[in-house]
Order: sequence, then C-alpha cells, then structure tokens
Amino acid sequence: MASNTAGRVSPVSAQTRRGRKATAVGWLIWPALLLFALFFLLPLGVLGVMAFLSGNPVNAPAVHFTLRHFQRFFADDLYPEALWATLRIGFLTTLAALLLGYPLAHLMARAHSRIAHALLLMAVIAPMLTGIVVRTFAWMTLLQDRGVINTTLVALGVTERPLKLMYNEFGTIVALTHIYVPFMVLTLAGVIGRVDERLEDAARSLGATRWQAFREVTLPLSLPGILAGSLLVFALSISAYVTPVLMGGTDVLTLPMLIYQQVSSSFNPNFAGALGLILLAVSLTLVIAYNKVLAGLAGEEVS
Amino acid sequence: MRKSQTTRRQVLLAAAVSGAAVAVPAVLRGQSSVLKITTWGGKWGEIMKGKVLPAFEQEFKCSVEADQAFPYLPKLQASPKTDPLYDVLHSNSNEQWQAVELGLVERKITAKEVPNIADVFPYAVSDKIVGVSIFTSAVGLGFRTDKGLVPPTSWNDLAAPTLAGQRGGYLIPVNSLGQAHLMMLGRIHGKGFEDLDAAYKALEALKPIKLFDFTGQMEKALLSAEVTMGVLHDSGIFRYDGQNQPIEFAAPKEGVLALEQVLNVTPGSKVKELAFAYIDYMLRPQVQKELAEGVWYSPSNKKVRLEPKYDGKLFNTEAKVAQLLQVPWQWYNAKKDEIDARVQRILKG
Repeated sequence: MASNTAGRVSPVSAQTRRGRKATAVGWLIWPALLLFALFFLLPLGVLGVMAFLSGNPVNAPAVHFTLRHFQRFFADDLYPEALWATLRIGFLTTLAALLLGYPLAHLMARAHSRIAHALLLMAVIAPMLTGIVVRTFAWMTLLQDRGVINTTLVALGVTERPLKLMYNEFGTIVALTHIYVPFMVLTLAGVIGRVDERLEDAARSLGATRWQAFREVTLPLSLPGILAGSLLVFALSISAYVTPVLMGGTDVLTLPMLIYQQVSSSFNPNFAGALGLILLAVSLTLVIAYNKVLAGLAGEEVS
Repeated sequence: MRKSQTTRRQVLLAAAVSGAAVAVPAVLRGQSSVLKITTWGGKWGEIMKGKVLPAFEQEFKCSVEADQAFPYLPKLQASPKTDPLYDVLHSNSNEQWQAVELGLVERKITAKEVPNIADVFPYAVSDKIVGVSIFTSAVGLGFRTDKGLVPPTSWNDLAAPTLAGQRGGYLIPVNSLGQAHLMMLGRIHGKGFEDLDAAYKALEALKPIKLFDFTGQMEKALLSAEVTMGVLHDSGIFRYDGQNQPIEFAAPKEGVLALEQVLNVTPGSKVKELAFAYIDYMLRPQVQKELAEGVWYSPSNKKVRLEPKYDGKLFNTEAKVAQLLQVPWQWYNAKKDEIDARVQRILKG
C-alpha cells in the first residue's frame, strides 16, 4: 500500500515538473537569443534608422528624419540597375548551384559505402576550409586573360585571343557557384537522405522508369531541401562583395559593392543604410514569393 | 614551547599585500598614456611594429595601439568626437580632406606643435594638405619591359590602341589613385584638374581597361602580365628591386601625381601632446630614412640623407619634388557622388 502511494505520481506534480524542465530548457535559449539580438536585430535596427536620418547622430549635431536617400536611389538608373544585376547574379548562381549540386547530393545520399560517402563529403567540404578570397584568387588564376585556361587554349591554337572568361558576369557567377555549391549540396543531401529509397523501388516495381521514379517521387519529396538550399545560396550570393569586385571588372556593379563604396570611401552610412534596406526588402519579398510557390508545388505533388 | 600559529588576520594581511603587489604594475601601466593610431600593414607595418613604434614607446614611456585594419575613417566616424577611436589618423590625402570636412581631424598642424615641420618640403604642408604629409609616392605608369613596349613618356601612352584590354586602372569610387588619375586626364585633355567633361571623354577612350580596387592588385596584375601598363605609384614598382622582375616605372612628362602619406590629430584626443610628439617623431630624419628605404617612399624631411640606391630614384630634392602634382581633393570630394555615378556608367559594359 505504502509503495503503491509512493509510486503513484499525481498529474499536478508531473505537470509542475514538466513545467520546471521546460523553464530550465527555456533558459538555455537565452544566450542564443541574446547573440541574435546583439548581432542581428541591433545592427539591423541601426541600419533601418540610419537610412531615414540626414546624418550620423554620433557626430552630427542636428540630424533629422528624411527620405532623401531613397529618393536618390530612384532618381538615378544606376542604382536600380545595380539592384537588378545583384538579383540576376543571385538567381543564376542559385540555379547553377542547384543543377550542379543536386546530382552530387543525390549521389552522396544514396551512397551505400560509408567510405564513398565520407570521400564525397570531404570533397564537398574541403574547399570551404580555405577562405573566399583565396578561392576567388584561384579562379582568377584560371580565368584571367593570362590564366591557365586561356594560356592553354592560345598555346593549342584553339583560339587566337584570350576568351572573355572573367571581368564580367559569367566569371562572377562561375566563382560564386563554386564558392556556394557546398551549401546547396549539404542541405540537399540531408533531405534526400531522409527520402525512403523503398518509395522509389515501389514506383519502379509498378512500372515507372528510373527517370519517372525520380521525377514523381524523389524530386517532390526533396523540395524542402531545394527550397532551403536555394534560399541559402541566393542570400549568400546577393550579399557577396569580394568575388564580384575581383571577378566582375568593369561589367559588374552590385548593391553590396555600392554599399561598401558608400561606407568606405564616400563616408555616407545613411545612403549605405538605405541601399541595404532596399536590398533586404526586395530579397525578402522574393524569398517569401519563392517559398509560397514551392510550398504550393509541394502541396500539389502530395495531393 | 610555543606553537607557531597563523592567524586569520595574518592570512588576510598576506593576501592583501600579495594582491597589491600583483595589482600595482597593472595600475601603473593603466596610468601610462596610450596612443591610438592607424597605420598600414605589409612591409611598412613590419618596420613600424618591429622598430619604429617600440622605440617611440620606450622614449615617451607610453604604449601605442596601432590599427592596421583598413578602412579607418568609417570607424573614426562611428566614434564620438569627444572620445575618438584614434588620436592620430594616418591616411592618404583624399581621406584627410573628408575627415576635416566631417570635423574628425585638425585642419592644420604647425611647427609650433610639431617642430620637425620646419624641415619638410613645402608640398608636405601646402594648402592642398590637411595635417602633414610625412612621405609621398609618385603616381605614374608602371609597365612591363618584356612585351616590346616603348617606355611611356606621357600619360597619353596609356591610351595606345595596342594596349586595349591590357591597360590597368582603378575602381575610381574606392581608389584615390583612380580619382587622381581622372583629374589628371582633365588637366591633360581639358582646362585643368577640374575639367570633368574632358576627363570623362579621355576615360571613355581608355576602354577596354582592367580595373582594380587597390594598388597591390595592380602590382600582381603587372607581375603576371595580366596588364602590360597601368597607373601605379613608384614604390609599387621599386619594391621589387633586385628581384629580377620585368617591370619598370615611368614618370610622364606632364608630371607625376603625389600620393601623400598624411598624419593628423583628432580634435577630441585626450593625449594631444603625445599625438603631436608622435608626428614629430615620424618626421625625424633617422625614422624617415628607416621607413623610406624600407618601403621606397620619398621622405618629407629635407634633411634625410638616403643611400645612393634610393637617392637616385626617390623624390628627395627641391628639383624633384617640384615635379609632384597635388590635386584639389576638397573640390573632388564635394563632387564625389556625382563623379562616382558618372564614371561607373562610363566604365560599365
């Protein structure tokens, strides 16, 4: 009887214990929240406020609210064109990373040998162990007029003059794709790995070809990975500075380049803030739209 | 026999004494002055951190905090004027003009605050300078000697049709050499440094051109023959002296542009006397010689005696410095946004 009473836990005390446990776990999230607030929300807030101020309140005595930085953006075609170039480069880099990354991610996810999986993983991660500047310089060594590719082509007589492989959008997208494709592969590999292989087998046993099984089963089920990987690569590409500056030459002018110019050499953090806010607003709109379209597609496929 | 016993009071006293012993040097260090400066990296930074700054710290019983992470002005701009991030700002002349417009540095420094100013060439404290220029480089044309080029004698040689796609310039919005070169084009092809229409037209004629955002990249491009001729300062070529590189520097007949290394004091500095002492120290002949021969910069102090190898090439006599052209940065900075938008449109595509 006594042991019976001791073993029985009243629902109220169990709830209290669960509540305490939840509170304890809740406390663990505070450092992350604090970091998020300090290093994301606060700078974003400062950026947002600066974009609407006439000067720097730290130093300027009379600062007032103004819309002139946004008016300046729309008054000169150069800035909307730079925004369009930024989004175009982001989109093409994402597309290229997806096309290159999906087969590799599929191969990784379906590799039955642990060694093969580890080797593929190493191959994907290895380039990330060097910095973006180093990787961009490596691409310059390959693609510039006197680079490895052009020198070889000219020496072999394939072309008389060096091909225009860099100092343009093409070179920028090639380098950005190489730099960001690991993010796509790693995201996709995790999602594809969770798609039950037996579903593909079932489709094939019901008469579907290998391509049909992939198109009707694996691809729709991996849409969350495509969504996450694309968003990651797109966000990284549109905010890239070093690679477009080094690879783009005179042909490429992106918003991050203009933002850097405004901060570092025009000393106008307010206009830089406005440019940053515009880039953020436009890319957020695109990301939300993309999310909805892809979610809709996934819904259709499932139903 | 009385047993020796350590009382609680003795333990506390011993702790207090040892704590004080540990803390006193730290407190004294905290009381000694700290000078916050900006300075370049690379070979310059090595000499500064290896020899020049330790000797200054020892002589003036202070410590120096040197920031080598460019860009400096945005960081100074983000700190309060009454408690600035730096006491001494080292930058090129264009940025010093921006800084003075923003009220972040002093307009002028005289021999009263910095006695060695009495010995500098006039260009170092001219009306084109904010603060004082401690060194200068000459901006002209760097070129490859192994590509069959006739050594350039004029800035116009950069526009030769044979150099299409092989000539190098700078991203004008972010590079002061590119900005100075644009003004030079206005002077050669128009009525003066401020003739923007003539400058834009001449810039258009330089297309196709490879653009870089800093001089290090231009040096790399010249060394790899990615460009065969480009706008560059003399020290960017001379620093490869003795390395058997097929590159040379040419001073165009229209004049070379001065790329000044300027020091200036922030008005809100809490150690202003020390800041002026540092500038004075940097203008001492022996310090000037050490740095000039280390990085091939032309010293501002007239009393500096360089070794023959450097003496023949650097701008260190009245006759030589007369060739240096100083551009109107104040005017340029006022028009910078307009110029940036225009040149980006000209050079794009």
